[in-house]
Amino acid sequence: MDLNEKELIANLKSDGNREKAFKVLVKTYQVRLYWHIRKIVMNHDDADDILQNVYVKVWKNVDSFREDSSLFTWLFRIATNESLSFLQQQRRHSIVSMNEISEYLAESLESDVYFDGDEIQKKLQLAIVQLPEKQRIVFNMKYFDEMKYEEMSEILTTSVGALKASFHFAVKKIEEFLKEDRK
Amino acid sequence: MKETDENIENQFGSHKKGQPFRVPEDYFETFADRLMVRIEEEEQPNKKRSLFFYLKPALMMAASFAFVMLLVYVPIKKFFPATGKAYLAAQKLNIDSVDSASVVPVTLISYFSESQFMSAVTDMTEFEPDSISNDDLADFIAANYSDYDVIANN
Repeated sequence: MDLNEKELIANLKSDGNREKAFKVLVKTYQVRLYWHIRKIVMNHDDADDILQNVYVKVWKNVDSFREDSSLFTWLFRIATNESLSFLQQQRRHSIVSMNEISEYLAESLESDVYFDGDEIQKKLQLAIVQLPEKQRIVFNMKYFDEMKYEEMSEILTTSVGALKASFHFAVKKIEEFLKEDRK
Repeated sequence: MKETDENIENQFGSHKKGQPFRVPEDYFETFADRLMVRIEEEEQPNKKRSLFFYLKPALMMAASFAFVMLLVYVPIKKFFPATGKAYLAAQKLNIDSVDSASVVPVTLISYFSESQFMSAVTDMTEFEPDSISNDDLADFIAANYSDYDVIANN
């Protein structure tokens, strides 16, 4: 945790500078958090709602932030949990089964007006949504965000070994999916 | 792990890690402001309904009544001052001889029954019509009549 972050946290916890510091926090992490969420839920509107929820939680609970991890880790952990909770809610409300969540995400992707990818990119995304949630998150964080396993381990509270295994299985499944698709 | 990355990259050629998604125009520029609006809304305490909220209809009715009284009383006092004095003088001379239906103030201020108003006026020993202000009249009505009486007699 560097000096700037310590100062930012101190300001977030003080009544006088709170709002100003919070805006700095939002501006600093909004883009990375948004894309992290977007890759989990696919749809822009859902990602926007979740991102707002994340920051509202941060605003309400910043006083209880114990500073045993970095702000970045704390924010990403909240964002991941919020995104997974959202998918669970979707499953509960629409009585969508574990397997069908992939179909739901694939439909979200197909109907998303903010998807600009070409056919090849769409195929990759469709392959990714076939993965179980945890593998999908690990794959996105490693492949697209190029995050270190140690960082991912802190955010996802999972051992580095388990993350490596998840990524390995994810890659194998994607390769298989793409091979099947070519046949 | 680099090998697995490369395997996927090989299948996608130059596309690799390009972001296929986009966001609406100015989304990130306006996000912080939209977020602060939402936080402000969430932080506003639930408004409890005050006593004023429940008394508001009755107070509105009382205010309307006072306003109507002013509209009636002030013009009468201004344009027909002699009528009121003559009426009161006649009351002093012989109250029984007065034809109440022909007296302007009683017929104009028709919110009360005739007997109520007559008895109230005659009870005042040192009555001077010019000394009655709007507030006096409103106080008198408030002290002697409920809103219900006023409406019921209207």
